Amino acid sequence: MFPLLTGVALIQTTLVSRINLLGARPNLMLLVVLIWTVMRGIDEGLIWAFVGGLILDLLSGGPLAGIALALLAAAYLAGQSLGEEVGSQAVRMVILTVLGATVYHVALLTILDWTGHTVDWGFSLTRVAAPSVVLNAVLAPLVLPPLAWLERATGEEGLSL
Amino acid sequence: MKQSKRPSVSIRRQGERSWLPLVLLIVGLLLLVFHESGLLAPVEGAAHYILDPLQRIVSGVVDSGGGVFRTVREVRKLREEVESLRAQVDALKLENVRLREYEAEAQQLRALLNFASDYPISAHLGTEVVSREGCQDFPCGGTLGVEPDPYLRYVTINVGAQQGAEEGMSVVSGGAGLVGRISEVGPRTAKVRLINDPDSAVAALLQTTRGTGLLVGQPDGSLQLQYVPQEEEVRVGDVVLTSGLGGLMPKGLVIGQVTAVQQKEYETFQTATVRPAVDFTRLELALVITGFEEVPLEEVTSEQP
Repeated sequence: MFPLLTGVALIQTTLVSRINLLGARPNLMLLVVLIWTVMRGIDEGLIWAFVGGLILDLLSGGPLAGIALALLAAAYLAGQSLGEEVGSQAVRMVILTVLGATVYHVALLTILDWTGHTVDWGFSLTRVAAPSVVLNAVLAPLVLPPLAWLERATGEEGLSL
Repeated sequence: MKQSKRPSVSIRRQGERSWLPLVLLIVGLLLLVFHESGLLAPVEGAAHYILDPLQRIVSGVVDSGGGVFRTVREVRKLREEVESLRAQVDALKLENVRLREYEAEAQQLRALLNFASDYPISAHLGTEVVSREGCQDFPCGGTLGVEPDPYLRYVTINVGAQQGAEEGMSVVSGGAGLVGRISEVGPRTAKVRLINDPDSAVAALLQTTRGTGLLVGQPDGSLQLQYVPQEEEVRVGDVVLTSGLGGLMPKGLVIGQVTAVQQKEYETFQTATVRPAVDFTRLELALVITGFEEVPLEEVTSEQP
């Protein structure tokens, strides 16, 4: 788990974060955590969220555990039995990504606000969070197949530390 | 053909209520509090010993991967020309492309070297070259990582405490354009808070009128010059420099140019929108100012007309 999440964090900070489409920024770690939570259950998802978030926090200039806590909130939501009646896994992932990413951005902004960073809520929610939520929802079906393969490959035991 | 009985994506969920969310939440909040109080600095420093080399490797791979794609694009263009030109001319054109790359790099490095000669008040620490040649006299590094938090504006540069970088040092690009200040130093990397981060504030000076103000980053990534007295004349096109007040950074670094002025008669101060001199999205080389002579307060105030 550690090598995978470290790899995701490094790709996030060196490559994915450079992408900015009209304010929308893809968040590979968020997508990985949300999808893994849906596939493997809330407990494993929360651990991935916490560990992956902490690695990103160490690579970020923001407060330590800020991203980790925001990912925890998103994973917790994704781990609930939301939209299970939806037939297609990909459609359910898109719905959960919209909800999870929204919670992630609100939680992240709240933590930044609490820790004394300047937060313009109106601008951040409308010009950064909203487009990022849409972009990540579009990207979720693309990240799903490789993680589904990994989930099948690792079997019932899942990934060890 | 034998088919797997498992669905392509399985959904597993523990039915019973777990304490894990609460435990992780509490641990996260504790980490947040300890980080804010500075108690975790040694642990974070130790983690950087592991993460920094990995980030350097991945960044190198990503950059070389981008180089491969660029090269592929160039080759495609050249193939179209091969049909109409002789092989010798093609070879010369390929060589020309490479030379242009070297020329562009040389121009950036020359700009950094010119900065040192143009700013004699800046005393730079003599430290090792990290990744680029031509920066023998001061830490000079390329950017490694981009801030993963979309609401903050930082870059990671590949010089750190081992090269002489310290928290608070100013970072400039070629041509003395102010990039930001180092906010966190690891052993071999440092995080630079860009001047357009919402928490960034720089004491600034208008080049023509010598009026002073405070340059503050905005959430949308723009820059605003605030607290400029109403009696000061601010014109579109005015160049904005660092004033050196406060002793945090050298005087005279180029910040940007005024693009709009917001003046209301009933307010004590006027505000100006400033376009940064540095294109932060294309920042490749950065230069860390490790020492400079502080500007006496009287010198700045006496300059004002």
